[in-house]
Amino acid sequence: MRRKARQRLGWNVVGLIVFFVMAFPVYWMISTAFKTNGQIYDFTPSWLPTHLTLAHFRAAINRPYFWTDVKNSAIVVFFTVAVALVLSFFAALALAKYRFTGRKLFIVLVIGIQMLPPTGLVIPLYVVVARYHLVNTLSGVILVYLTFSLPFCIWTLRGFLIGIPKELEEAAMVDGSTRLGAFVRILLPLVAPGLVATSVFAFITSWNEFIFANTLLSNGKTQTITVWLADFYGGSRAVDWGAVMAASTLISIPVVIFFLLVQRRIAFGLTAGAVRG
Amino acid sequence: MANVGLTMTLGILVALLLVRVSTWVRLMVTGALVLAWSMPPVVAVQVWSWMTNLQNGVLNYALTQLGIGNFFQHNWYSTTLSQYGMVTTLIVWGGLPFVVITVYAALSQVPHELVEAAQIDGARTWRILKDVTLPVVKPLLLILTSLSIIWDFGVFTQAYLLIGPGQQTPNNYLMSIYLYVEGYGQTNFGRGAAISILMLAIVAVLSIFYVRSMLRVGDE
Repeated sequence: MRRKARQRLGWNVVGLIVFFVMAFPVYWMISTAFKTNGQIYDFTPSWLPTHLTLAHFRAAINRPYFWTDVKNSAIVVFFTVAVALVLSFFAALALAKYRFTGRKLFIVLVIGIQMLPPTGLVIPLYVVVARYHLVNTLSGVILVYLTFSLPFCIWTLRGFLIGIPKELEEAAMVDGSTRLGAFVRILLPLVAPGLVATSVFAFITSWNEFIFANTLLSNGKTQTITVWLADFYGGSRAVDWGAVMAASTLISIPVVIFFLLVQRRIAFGLTAGAVRG
Repeated sequence: MANVGLTMTLGILVALLLVRVSTWVRLMVTGALVLAWSMPPVVAVQVWSWMTNLQNGVLNYALTQLGIGNFFQHNWYSTTLSQYGMVTTLIVWGGLPFVVITVYAALSQVPHELVEAAQIDGARTWRILKDVTLPVVKPLLLILTSLSIIWDFGVFTQAYLLIGPGQQTPNNYLMSIYLYVEGYGQTNFGRGAAISILMLAIVAVLSIFYVRSMLRVGDE
């Protein structure tokens, strides 16, 4: 038993090292955001911020276009999530409940599109968007984001819908409910957690997206917040690190919150069915 | 693409580690993993370039203090190799959580009876790992590997921003960046499209396995 205890202690130490490595960058970001410039630019880094200051947060917020770009991001995210959710819900419903011609092809497309590296599609999508004069407009970006979030949402929702037994709906209809009634009263409440998880995921991907936003939106008034952050240091290496870290912290907050809510379900959705005990 | 190998190996090791530590350590590690996972890539890039900053990056300081060498004002971005090194650490840091958490979930589904039976038959830890645990989680590992390959192959944001938009030269191009610079930066759509197709073809070959197994799921 003695040996076992010592072994466990050893593993625990390794575990703590892993914890430290994974958490440190996040800690360093937050602590830098609160440090004074004196502490930040000292050659000997201080591990703890001793004089807390909010100056960097003020500097970040007051930089040109911060609020405009947050607003842009919010608009893009809102419409992407809303449209993706409605469309993918119906598509997933069809996939899960009905057999129809071309079903197989549809599944292949849904999975296949998720496999494409977004970078590979930058050029073709840019050309398409430019043809409809949607470069530098938010609607262009929303359309592009939809091409990515739709397949994912359809696939995840399908997983949730399949888990709901058909008998429940049928029972409701036997008891005199209409098809629509059964849908609203039985199916919708049961799939609600799935809808939440899916929309949160769509939210996170479109909030974090960078390549397309960077390609399609080139001026400060229309760009999204990720492009704003990437432009923060432009070409020079002499950077106001405090402000960059403060802005980074602010931008991460909504994502982290939502992410914590649904993290388990996402991991499940991507690999569903791979392990059967 | 050393990224995938590193991510998968480290991921599996950490997952195995998670089974062995005390509960409170496990909770702490999982918490840190989820936190790292949720960082937006653009933010992670900023944090990375701050930590590896030429003037007073904390990485330089820590390595010097630990006696690994003198990294005072060491420029991590001076050679292509070390540029890739930095990009790789960033990607592995960001990609590890997903792998660890999924593998851990799979490990906890390995039936206890199997492990016990093997123990009774006198199998050592290593044998149990190799002949009992691994076969059970293998399908999942394969899916994870192909997913990681696909994701890392198309990686753009991290490499583009960390090395710096102005610092991209033919020597340090990744495929995705080559495509971007040629196609979009120099508005050479034709060549860009050609690179796209090449890239998609490579990914298509790599992802056959994943698509096949997902199709099986879809047919149910």
